[in-house]
Amino acid sequence: MKETSIIVCRCEEVTLEQIREAIRQHGCSARETKLRTRAGMGICGGRTCRPLLERLMVPLEGDHASELPLKIQPPVRPVSFAQWGRSL
Amino acid sequence: MNAIYDLIVVGAGPAGLAAAGSAAQAGLKVLLLDEFMKLGGRLLGQLHQEPGGAWWNGIREAELLVLGAQEAGADIATGVSVTGLERTDNNGWTLWTTQGCYRTPFVLLATGAAESANPLPGWTLPGVMSIGAAQVMTNVQRVRVGNRGVVIGMSVLAMAIMSELRLAGIELAAIVLPPGNALSGKDSNPEAVLDSLLRFANLAPNAMLKYGAKFLQNSMLRNLALNLYPKQGIRMLDVPLQLRRCAIEIVGRDAVEGVLVADITPRGEPIAGSERVVEADFVCIAGGLYPLVELAAVAGCPFRYVPELGGHVPVHGENMQTLLPGLYVAGNITGVESAKVAIAQGRVAGLSIAFSAAAEKAPGEAEIKDAMEQVKLTRHEALIQFHPDIARSRAKLYQIEIV
Repeated sequence: MKETSIIVCRCEEVTLEQIREAIRQHGCSARETKLRTRAGMGICGGRTCRPLLERLMVPLEGDHASELPLKIQPPVRPVSFAQWGRSL
Repeated sequence: MNAIYDLIVVGAGPAGLAAAGSAAQAGLKVLLLDEFMKLGGRLLGQLHQEPGGAWWNGIREAELLVLGAQEAGADIATGVSVTGLERTDNNGWTLWTTQGCYRTPFVLLATGAAESANPLPGWTLPGVMSIGAAQVMTNVQRVRVGNRGVVIGMSVLAMAIMSELRLAGIELAAIVLPPGNALSGKDSNPEAVLDSLLRFANLAPNAMLKYGAKFLQNSMLRNLALNLYPKQGIRMLDVPLQLRRCAIEIVGRDAVEGVLVADITPRGEPIAGSERVVEADFVCIAGGLYPLVELAAVAGCPFRYVPELGGHVPVHGENMQTLLPGLYVAGNITGVESAKVAIAQGRVAGLSIAFSAAAEKAPGEAEIKDAMEQVKLTRHEALIQFHPDIARSRAKLYQIEIV
C-alpha cells in the first residue's frame, strides 16, 4: 500500500508516510509528532485526524496509559474572533 | 454573563433530551444547548425495524423527548456551539458558547460520539463521506447523496445505515473492506470482520448469516466459510457484502468516479492481478464511532482508556457523575451504545443532578437506583450491542473508580 498517497491530516495535507517516518526516526511522543509534521494543527483542530493519529502513536505505558495522547484545548470548535470576543 | 440556570446540558440527543426533561421535572431551571439546527442528535438518522416487526423511528422518538423536556419547562437553544468549559473558583462552571457565556453550578455533557475514518488514497475527493454523513443527508436533509455508491468498511452500524439508504432508493454497488495498512487494523481482516458481524447474525436478513452463524462459531468452519466465500459477495439487503474484497484507492479526476478494488485472501492480503474498478459517484467510509470528549478534556476530567466503550471515556460513576464536582456525563460520551441506553442514562443523570442540587421535587435515592437498574436492563435488551463486553467493562469502570 502506497503510504505516500494516503493523506491522514486533510487540513495540513500530511501523509501516512510522513507521520510514520517521523515516529520511526525520532521515536517521538504524540505531541512531538504533531509538532514535527503539523498533523492535527489545521483549521479543523484535529477533529478528523485525531483518532487516526492516536492509532499511530506509540502506546503510553504505566500511569499515563489513560491520558489522552493529544491535548485538547479551547475553543473546541472553530469560532470567529468576533464570536470569541463577544463571549468574554 | 448569564447565571440563571441550575443546569446546562450540552447536546440535545437522546441522553441530553432525557436528562433535561427529568431534571426540569424535578424543579431545576435547565438550559439545553445543541449545535445542530434540529433537536434529536443521532436519533434523527435512525430508522430500523426491530425483531418484533415494529419500526424504530428516531425522528418520532426525538419529538417525544423534546415535548417531554419542553413541557417540564426546560429552555432549549439550537445552533449554539459550546467552545469551552472551565471550573470557576466559587463552585460553579463557566461555559463559553458561540452565543455568549454562561455561569452554572451543574453541567451535563451529552455530546455523543463522532465517526472516525479509514483513510485510503483518494479519500479527499469530493463525493467521499462518512457513512453517518450519508445517513444525515438522507434522513435529515433529504438530499440524495448520489446515484451509485460503494461503502468501505463493514460493521453493524454500517449495515443499519445501508438499509436506510436502500429504503431511500439509493443504489449501493458494493460493500468492501478497507485496505490493510497501519490505520485500518482489524477492520481490513476478513476473519475479524466476519467475527464481529456474526455477533449480530440474529439481525441479518440473510439466511446464510442468520442460520449459519451457529456453525460459524467453530473456528475451523469459519476458516472454511472464509475460504469458500463467494468473490461476488453475499447479498444482504440486496447489497453484495464482499468480505473477500478490499478497496485499494478511490479514483476520479475532480470527484469520485469509482473505487479500485482487489480480491483478498482470508487473511486480508490483496491478490495480485485481481484489481478492477467499480464505478460509483459516491463513497461512504464506515470507520466506527468514538466518544466525543473534547469538553470533558478541557474541563480537566480524568480519563480511562476502555476499548470496549470506543476509546477514552471520562471517568464517571453509575450515577453519571464525573470526578469533578457538578460535572456529569451521559450517553455516548460515556461509551458507544444504542440510543435507548443513552435515554436511560440521561434519566439517571437528570435525577442525580436534581438530587445533588436538592431540587424542589428532587427524587429519592430509591428512584435514582431504579433509573440505574433501567440502564442495565435496557443495555441487556438492546438490539445493537456495539461491543460484547460492554456490560463487563461498565461494571469494572464503576466499581474501580467510585465505590
